[in-house]
Amino acid sequence: MVPVGACLGLSAVLFAIGLVGFLGRRNIILMLVSVEVMLNAVNVSLAAFSQHLHDPRGQVMALFVIAVAAAEAAVGLGLVLALGRNRPEVSVEDLTQLKW
Amino acid sequence: MAMASLAGQTAFYYLAAVSVASATLAVTRRNPVHSMLWVLALFLHVAGIFLLAGAEFLAAVQVIVYAGAILVFYLFFLMLLDLPREIAGPRFGAHWPTCAAIGVGFAALAWYARDPGLLPVAQLVTVGGPPLGTLTAIGRTLFTQFVLPFEIASLILLAAIVGAVVVAKRKTGS
Repeated sequence: MVPVGACLGLSAVLFAIGLVGFLGRRNIILMLVSVEVMLNAVNVSLAAFSQHLHDPRGQVMALFVIAVAAAEAAVGLGLVLALGRNRPEVSVEDLTQLKW
Repeated sequence: MAMASLAGQTAFYYLAAVSVASATLAVTRRNPVHSMLWVLALFLHVAGIFLLAGAEFLAAVQVIVYAGAILVFYLFFLMLLDLPREIAGPRFGAHWPTCAAIGVGFAALAWYARDPGLLPVAQLVTVGGPPLGTLTAIGRTLFTQFVLPFEIASLILLAAIVGAVVVAKRKTGS
């Protein structure tokens, strides 16, 4: 039995770490990995609520989150591959064509 | 019973501490491969937290899909990187203090929202169904109440596969 408040606190801290990684890192692959960390943080809180409310729906939602994370990884890394074909370095600071 | 509870608490705080530490290391390491290995540690410890929260099937999926499939996928893509140049460059953009402030602010906000007074009260359901978190309970919910979202998820995965191929395909001809 895990205290739900502690689980939610852990989820908040993990999400914040992922947020810092997503906003701050220069490498685009590590930005995508930070998104995975954030999704995992959400799954922790879904599992905690599922246990707290004795309801399996939270875990089903977490399964959907995992499915969407897999889809996001496939599309995101496909974009990185298309990007890396034109320029070997995958640093977000060099990708300024859409900046005005 | 009290001893089992104490062991559970200890295990939870161990897993939580290691999760936070490995997530921090993952987003701050200079070498992307080291980052990936710390993310692997994070995923495995989060699977342990799922086990403690009674979500056995979710823990198995976490290890198989996240640690087994998605992470290996990311590691493959790291092979495309110019690793020495990546290690030589700065890890964070010039705006990293803003990012750290946003992260701390978000964590403080979410920590405040975690106030137990705001939590919904657990209703004690004593239906004689399968225990929570087992494959039976998950499958029963997934294929009755959530059957439409389940099919939509399969469509999303199909679209992602096709989309990844289309996006990453080398343009040939005109």
